[in-house]
Amino acid sequence: MGKRITIDPVTRIEGHLKIEIEIENGKVKDAWSSGTMARGFEALLLGRDPRDASYVTSRFCGVCFSVHQMASARALDAAFGAKVPWGGTLLRNLVMGAEYIYDHMVHFYHLSALDYLDIMAIAKYTGKDPELNKVRDKIVSLIQRGDTFPLTPRYEPDEFCVKDPDVVISAVKHYLDALQMQIKAKNMGVIFGGRAPHYQSIVVGGVTMFPDINQVARFHSMLDELATFVNEVYIPDVISFGMGPLLPLARAGLGGGHQNYLCCGAFEMDEVGSKLLFQPGVIVGLNPVEIKIKPFNPQKITESVHSSWYKKESKPKHPYDGTQVFDLERKDAYTFVKAPRYNNLPMEVGPLARAFVDKDATLLGLVKDYGVKSGVVARHAARAIETKKIVDAMYYWCDELTAAMVKPGFKIHDTEHWDPPAEGEGTGFFEPPRGCLGHWIRIKDKKIANYQAIVPSTWNASPRDERGIRGQYEESLIGVPVPDPENPINVVRVIRSFDPCLACAIHLIDPKTNGVRKFLVE
Amino acid sequence: MGNLLLSDEGVGVHVAQRLMEIDFPPEVEVVDGGTDGFGLINVFLRADRLILIDAIKGGEEPGSIYLFELDECRPFPDDYKTSLHQISILEVINLSGLIGPLPRITIIGVEPKSIQMGMELSPEIESKIPRVIQLVKEEVQAALSGSDRGSLHDMSQP
Repeated sequence: MGKRITIDPVTRIEGHLKIEIEIENGKVKDAWSSGTMARGFEALLLGRDPRDASYVTSRFCGVCFSVHQMASARALDAAFGAKVPWGGTLLRNLVMGAEYIYDHMVHFYHLSALDYLDIMAIAKYTGKDPELNKVRDKIVSLIQRGDTFPLTPRYEPDEFCVKDPDVVISAVKHYLDALQMQIKAKNMGVIFGGRAPHYQSIVVGGVTMFPDINQVARFHSMLDELATFVNEVYIPDVISFGMGPLLPLARAGLGGGHQNYLCCGAFEMDEVGSKLLFQPGVIVGLNPVEIKIKPFNPQKITESVHSSWYKKESKPKHPYDGTQVFDLERKDAYTFVKAPRYNNLPMEVGPLARAFVDKDATLLGLVKDYGVKSGVVARHAARAIETKKIVDAMYYWCDELTAAMVKPGFKIHDTEHWDPPAEGEGTGFFEPPRGCLGHWIRIKDKKIANYQAIVPSTWNASPRDERGIRGQYEESLIGVPVPDPENPINVVRVIRSFDPCLACAIHLIDPKTNGVRKFLVE
Repeated sequence: MGNLLLSDEGVGVHVAQRLMEIDFPPEVEVVDGGTDGFGLINVFLRADRLILIDAIKGGEEPGSIYLFELDECRPFPDDYKTSLHQISILEVINLSGLIGPLPRITIIGVEPKSIQMGMELSPEIESKIPRVIQLVKEEVQAALSGSDRGSLHDMSQP
């Protein structure tokens, strides 16, 4: 039996994930991924008007709320028989596109980059750049005040961490710039999202925000600014880190896991939906030289509760039939996350899955030219490459919108199908930044009879199934080097590369741990 | 701030919804912050003065109301070691401070009774909302009179 250690929580900023690993001879021998917070918000939807679903589900999560609104609206579109007009689709795409830019940038700079930097090297910067000197002085003064969240705490830098003061300081400068940029991306999303946080404009049948030409112009100019940052800062940073100091990790394929990938497809590029920006497809056992894509068939999705704190079931269920009956007494369970499987296989979802299913030329170029293998570095690279793809598509959607708006009969909503059907069911798939998201709704007597969601992190963070097959996080950790059990930095790098988000956002301020003195009013 | 799906955890949002019905002067903006983390940086940086309403776990009777300044609240748990923790609203405030001057921030909190799944407030909490609104109005009044304006937490400068 090796030494067991627990990392809890793993996420730098968005939490509720616990990873337990067993180490033998300096490497991970076995791993368990555990979601430590009960979900099951679906139960709140039962008996409600189906149209409430897109508002209620947008409160599922504090980080990825709008994508639930989107998946929910798509499930309702299917159940109501609504046909979203091209204008509605374009506006949905633009709001979601803004979400992608925001999400991917924040993931790289604010949630991940500090695993690859020795932040303390910043004090040694001796260059003349006045901007960088300002950054250095600011960070050093924070360190001296002992007030360095979110730049610290951190694991001890290892041999892969960048220690060159010039590189570190420019990365930290970009960290601060990206904070400004993510504000712009959020503001851009609000233009058509209606309000923020928690956009409200995406509903069954389309959207509720009728655009005017000034809004499109404003959106366009904000997109210009973000595109410049993505192309001139974000992508070069990811490539110069990944193909520079992190190349050994990239070539070793740290954190590759099962190498099964699933993308459910997203972002219509034409009115009839015949062409998508992200093609749907499934890869079983990646061979990067000859990628074989199987068609994605939603009927092949099941969810197992074999290792989860829910009432045992005789066999895994299709999401339409899924339930959430907790059973906290089960000794063989270790997580609140269920185990989704596709054709009985665990899948990775997210940017790397989308890139491989799309046979993305840029990513496959890195595989070919640098010998990059599937894993941590490839995941960060896929995310950056995809951000550019989204930005380019957003220009196209803006142009399409401008053209559509001046045509007579321009519509953003299918008002014919606003009333719920007496009976019906519908599935809504979408590809949020973190990967495949599915919502399933069943309607009876014009009310919600059942509602289930399988979120991206459920796929990636899933536990073992009936056959004992590990989930993707767990499998990705096998063999990962942990020379020092006190400093499991590689484990954290692997998990964070997936952009885990199990946050259902309880964010109570706890005056005990936060050290609030007494301020009782009454 | 708060999660509407977790009963009393959403008290801040319930208060915000009532505040939106009040006819405040144009310089007052009511924001339903929901559970957004990073998205609120934006809100924090554009305010001259911020009153944050949230559920607070202070160990008093459910329905107890707390009022304190951000200064009086430390963002780091005492027993902090190598583990990384999830973002809390206090950390979002810190993050905002890295790129701009922060306004003076007052936190008004209500001790929850239940944070179970549900979209309604407990009666004990519901009955405290008028008092919370009154406190908010007093803070707003003081802010508008100009006596308490100014940036106290400018971490954007060395």
